[in-house]
Amino acid sequence: MIKRQRSWPIHLTLIAACFVMLVPFYWVLKTSISGENIFSYPPNIIPRDPHPFYYVDVWYAIPFARYFLNSVVVSTLTIAANVVLNAMAGYSLTQIFPGKQFVLMLFLSCMMIPFQATIIPAYLITGKLGLLDSYLGLALPMFSTIICIFVFKASFDAVPRSLIDAARVDGLSEWRIIWRVMMPLAKSAVATNVILSFIWSWNNFMWPLIATRSQDMQTLPLGLARFISYQEDTTGALYAFCIMVLAPGILLFLLAQKEFVQGLTTGATKG
Amino acid sequence: MSFEDDLARPRWKRWLINRFVLVPGFLVLIAIVWNCWVFTHNHGVVSGRVVDAAGTPVAGAEVKLWVFNFVTFNERTTTQTRADGSFEFTDNPSHNIQLSAEKAGVGRSRIPMRLYFRSEDITLTQPLRLSRESDDK
Repeated sequence: MIKRQRSWPIHLTLIAACFVMLVPFYWVLKTSISGENIFSYPPNIIPRDPHPFYYVDVWYAIPFARYFLNSVVVSTLTIAANVVLNAMAGYSLTQIFPGKQFVLMLFLSCMMIPFQATIIPAYLITGKLGLLDSYLGLALPMFSTIICIFVFKASFDAVPRSLIDAARVDGLSEWRIIWRVMMPLAKSAVATNVILSFIWSWNNFMWPLIATRSQDMQTLPLGLARFISYQEDTTGALYAFCIMVLAPGILLFLLAQKEFVQGLTTGATKG
Repeated sequence: MSFEDDLARPRWKRWLINRFVLVPGFLVLIAIVWNCWVFTHNHGVVSGRVVDAAGTPVAGAEVKLWVFNFVTFNERTTTQTRADGSFEFTDNPSHNIQLSAEKAGVGRSRIPMRLYFRSEDITLTQPLRLSRESDDK
């Protein structure tokens, strides 16, 4: 007879962990609608006289709609490129070819190089291509990420070889095998790619700071920095801006969290 | 819904009826409705009434519209109340304003107002109440 373990200690621990994780978010949200100074004492747990006007202030203080559009366009380009290029790279790494181990080691070692170290070559290449201060140029360095390639590789590795062999026997090209056979079976990997590439692109500050010249091409993180630099008495408006920047990422994560977790754990239980 | 059930649905249903389309679609719908509302209510009309401490309408009081400009309120325009104490501005360009009313011998009053969008048409629910006390401030 299997003895049922008591679950309440686990739940209690998880609730406490959730509380610790969510309190900062609650605090930002509360301040964005109350404008309460962070140094006020005693601090109010419940917002006092909540109102949405700090959000209105942010909307009009900077060209928020323009920055939002820029961030959306850059993130969309990044997501599309990540899904396509990473799927192709991930599929190729599931095949057997000379030097595969070397390529894998090269990818793994490249993960240790921070983006800041490659930012000058990235700038020069983007400049030579004439893409500085453009959407494509803003998205280009994030078109493919090694972690996401390995997410696809792990997902594709879980597909039986016999299925791919059957597809080849039926006359499908490698390209069609990726899109007609592998991708429908790798929805969780796609969701993981979408979420990770979106969050990295959405929150990226340094590359847009370097690659943009005109104000019209700036993205939301740059807008936030600009907002802080010239606004006084920003407590409420600043927190409202943070919520407006965070909301799309949180929404996307909540929408795709099931696939995201599946994508991260695919392959982890193999072997 | 299982994977097989999902595949059994028509392709257009699979593409359109899922949370990745419905949630953003709902948000876009809210944005469209909100923008329609803004578009039809942004004529910059600010109206209200001015009364004295006893609640009697004050005619001929000077009412000023102040617009928040970065760090301070700047005077935008001035008008006079009518016989019934009512006033109206038609060119408010801002979402953060103040209204001040004053009449010699009666008193003065000033109220800040936050609007939901620029040039929002608004009618004061409470009249500007002139008093000597605010005159002293």
